[in-house]
Amino acid sequence: MLLADITLFQIVKQLSEGLLVSTEIFFLTLIFALPLGLLIAFGRMSKFTPLRWLCIFYISVLRGTPLMLQLLVWYFAPFYLFGIKLSSLAIGDIDYRFTAVIIGFALNYAAYFAEIYRSGIESMPKGQYEAATVLGYTKTQTFFRIIMPQVVKRILPPITNETITLVKDTSLAFSLAVLEMFTIAKEIASAQTTMMPFVIAGLFYYIFNFIVAAFMGWVEKKLNYYR
Amino acid sequence: MLKKLLPLFAAALCLLTACGGEKEKTFTVGFDANFPPYGFKDTNGEYTGFDLELAEEVARRNGWKLVKKPINWDAKDMELSSGNIDCIWNGFTINGREGKYEWTKPYVDNSQVVVVLKDSSINKHSDLAGKVVTVQTDTPIQKALKPDGDLKTIGGTFKELRTVANYNQAVMELEAGSCDAVAIDIGVANSKMNSGKFRMLEDPLMKEQYGIGFLKGNTELRDLVEKTLIEMVKDGTAAKISAKYFKGEDVLIIGK
Repeated sequence: MLLADITLFQIVKQLSEGLLVSTEIFFLTLIFALPLGLLIAFGRMSKFTPLRWLCIFYISVLRGTPLMLQLLVWYFAPFYLFGIKLSSLAIGDIDYRFTAVIIGFALNYAAYFAEIYRSGIESMPKGQYEAATVLGYTKTQTFFRIIMPQVVKRILPPITNETITLVKDTSLAFSLAVLEMFTIAKEIASAQTTMMPFVIAGLFYYIFNFIVAAFMGWVEKKLNYYR
Repeated sequence: MLKKLLPLFAAALCLLTACGGEKEKTFTVGFDANFPPYGFKDTNGEYTGFDLELAEEVARRNGWKLVKKPINWDAKDMELSSGNIDCIWNGFTINGREGKYEWTKPYVDNSQVVVVLKDSSINKHSDLAGKVVTVQTDTPIQKALKPDGDLKTIGGTFKELRTVANYNQAVMELEAGSCDAVAIDIGVANSKMNSGKFRMLEDPLMKEQYGIGFLKGNTELRDLVEKTLIEMVKDGTAAKISAKYFKGEDVLIIGK
């Protein structure tokens, strides 16, 4: 009676709600991690040694520990370190759970993005900087008008890689009981003893990534203006 | 410019400190949404279940707003001590956890049973020797079957005691043939019997009792919830809720 057979429509409807949460995590992570990664990349290449070491340490720790563990740390640290009740950290309707997921994802992905930016920036031949100096470009102008446009083109494939991984990683939010798509799929599967939610969730993830890959491919083509 | 921004700042600050003012008292129940019929998602995607419906009624009678908070079972203690949830109410076994929480009196008798595939050759506990048995992580039955547990005489004969994240996965493993039996709460086992693929061994592995677990020291809320629950048993409301989830049966043992 209560565990009656669930219709396909009901599964899809509930998973769609989860997909919305997954999508939110995806976009918010990109919005914060892409610029933050650039800052860290600059720090990593800085001539100021303490800053450089700090960034190296940051990247090393964030890349070297599981994201799931980092999420638990960001979520529970305010309470266990400072005794702050987590319910008081809610921003309006947004539970701190979700905020912690975004903090965790953004800081983690920024570490990966930083190294991708660095690989792009350091691949630029020194001659370009010299030529720019001769032509009277300032350092800032050189970077934003000459170096960065080429870097963006070069790093698009690894960025696409990382972005696709991000879509799938959103399922890690389950460790903080954020109701993204995979958590919901598991709950439906438990209640109804059916594998269908997993099949549909898999399909949704694939379609999501297909769109991401197609979009990035389109951007790559657009930027291919010298050939 | 600054004057224009000031109300914005005030609003942001208001949002941050949640100055809602007349806040209703909430009662936040932490539960594992993978645990039918105690707590699960119904076909419309709403959280429901025997325990949640009892909690709903307890909250209503005390004028609280019930918040159903699905949690990751591995993080339940952290959720409780950090104040995210007021209690764990979810077919939560007292036995073996006596000193860890502020418990209500037991409200449901539970037993741990062995579920096998319909055509399995396992008929009694001794048949489990040399077999792979799956349990959910961090459950009393897992503790009992371990080499130093109360059921080590049975657990010791297994080929392997396998631990998975939730009961659904355990049942999936059983169905897929990667394990021979699942040790599981009888209520959950019953909810899986509809499929006709499984059968339950007659003798339970162990008897235990469910209670509602509060944070150590929170006797005030515990007493209040317990008192309300007993009232609900006395006036028959609880039995009605029970009948809905357990095929007409009244499983409650508190207040009788």
